[in-house]
Amino acid sequence: MLFPAALGLGLPLGIGLAAIGSGIGIGFLGKGAMEAMGRQPEILPKLQVAMIIGFGFAEALTIYAFVTMFFLQGRIG
Amino acid sequence: MDQARPGRDILDRALRASWIAALALAAAVAPGRPRDAAAILAGQLLAFLHFIFLRKIVKLFTEGGRDPRLALAIGAKVVLVYGGLAGLITLGGVRYVPLCVGFALPFLTLFLKSIMLALGAGPASLTARRATETARSFGNAAKPAVFLLLLGAAVLLAFSALPGAALADEAAHGAPAAQEATATHHAEEGAAELPNWLVILHDFNPGNPVIDWLEKNQVIVFAWIAGLLFLLVSWLAMRKPKMVPGPFQNGVEWMVESMEEVCGGLLGPQIDKHFPLIGALFFYILTINMLGIIPGMKSATSSLDLTLALALITFLYVQFWGIRNLGILGYLDHLAGSPRDAIGWAMLPVMLPVHILGELAKPVSLSCRLFGNIFGEDTLIVVFVGATALLIKASLVALAVPPMAGITALFMMLQTLTSIVQALIFSLLATVYLYMMLPHEAHAHEEAHETH
Repeated sequence: MLFPAALGLGLPLGIGLAAIGSGIGIGFLGKGAMEAMGRQPEILPKLQVAMIIGFGFAEALTIYAFVTMFFLQGRIG
Repeated sequence: MDQARPGRDILDRALRASWIAALALAAAVAPGRPRDAAAILAGQLLAFLHFIFLRKIVKLFTEGGRDPRLALAIGAKVVLVYGGLAGLITLGGVRYVPLCVGFALPFLTLFLKSIMLALGAGPASLTARRATETARSFGNAAKPAVFLLLLGAAVLLAFSALPGAALADEAAHGAPAAQEATATHHAEEGAAELPNWLVILHDFNPGNPVIDWLEKNQVIVFAWIAGLLFLLVSWLAMRKPKMVPGPFQNGVEWMVESMEEVCGGLLGPQIDKHFPLIGALFFYILTINMLGIIPGMKSATSSLDLTLALALITFLYVQFWGIRNLGILGYLDHLAGSPRDAIGWAMLPVMLPVHILGELAKPVSLSCRLFGNIFGEDTLIVVFVGATALLIKASLVALAVPPMAGITALFMMLQTLTSIVQALIFSLLATVYLYMMLPHEAHAHEEAHETH
């Protein structure tokens, strides 16, 4: 397989795979946070901060894939 | 009241430090080029005299009235310093560069000292005097922001040179093609984003060196615009702080206070000391991000250069406070994972590299996260605008514009959300990194208490 062709197939696929992982992670985080909020609404502000930080960590994984794509994109064609 | 003169105290310290630096520099240069070493020392001496006389003059001036010694001091200063400089250059046959280096040293140390002071790292007698009220903290946050901007711009300049060169090397396969490669790199970058006013200006004025330079360094230009905007807003809001604030001051205070509350929930009482940098980071990044929504402007954070500069500043700040609070040994102990028993010491060769790598990964992840999000949002909007333009070209105006404009507006709302959330995440993560580095027994105790 040609290198550009491999890149052209692999980069979008890689982002999709990374997004699956991040999506699962963010979903779990959101689920846990929602449940905790339902049980104890008074910890809302503290919880939101922790939740947003967690989102940031989970989302970063997709962003790494995105940045990789951005750096390699020029060599596709 | 021996603390009453922080300005003079810091001048003394800066001058002492500059003498040490000058002697070290001269000693380093002396074996090869003794004349240059002498020139450095001469420049340092002249600058030292300049500061001494300046202080004398200011003191005489403030202590009152028309003292005849005032004129004497001014005369002596002009003759000694400027006459000395002119004489050395014209008659002494010293080289210009080392003389300037020596002359600049005290200024440089003074500048660095004031940066350290603004970041809260000065000696205790100076930092204790800083106001800690929230209403003032925005003004305090604005001052480091100026230095943040300066540092950011400096690091940015260094880094915007590096990746370009690396890309050119990678793509060129040879020296003569390097220029072409940077040109294509530039064009590629230009295609991926909407034209801002600098690009448009550049297109209408080809060959103008000033506009050329601005267009090439547009990230810095937009970062400065955002920084100036930020400073303007904080200055306007805090120009005449009132007990009963007007709507503008109230709004700004609300933003600052809620941000401090959020970070304070993580960091505890130490937030007072670190909020200037964290708050400045938040509002600076927020301003930069929001700037991209205005048509014709660009978010400077959609360039890895700026985000890397900001992340490096955060990284250095965190490491600095880690070393300052834990001591060198405590810091190394922290890096080694605090080994206390045999297993801990046995794991040392594994844990040390892991911790060091973890520390180094922090700025990378911070910068890539901010850059990727903002760049991704910008690209998304460009794609939709490009699709609209294609449809308009195919003369499907009536069909194309309303739904596309709607979708673009929706994504712009999303962009607003991303801007706020990413600025928040950046500053919150900076807080978390700081929290992990600082000793926090009291806080941990409190948490342990809560969970029981």
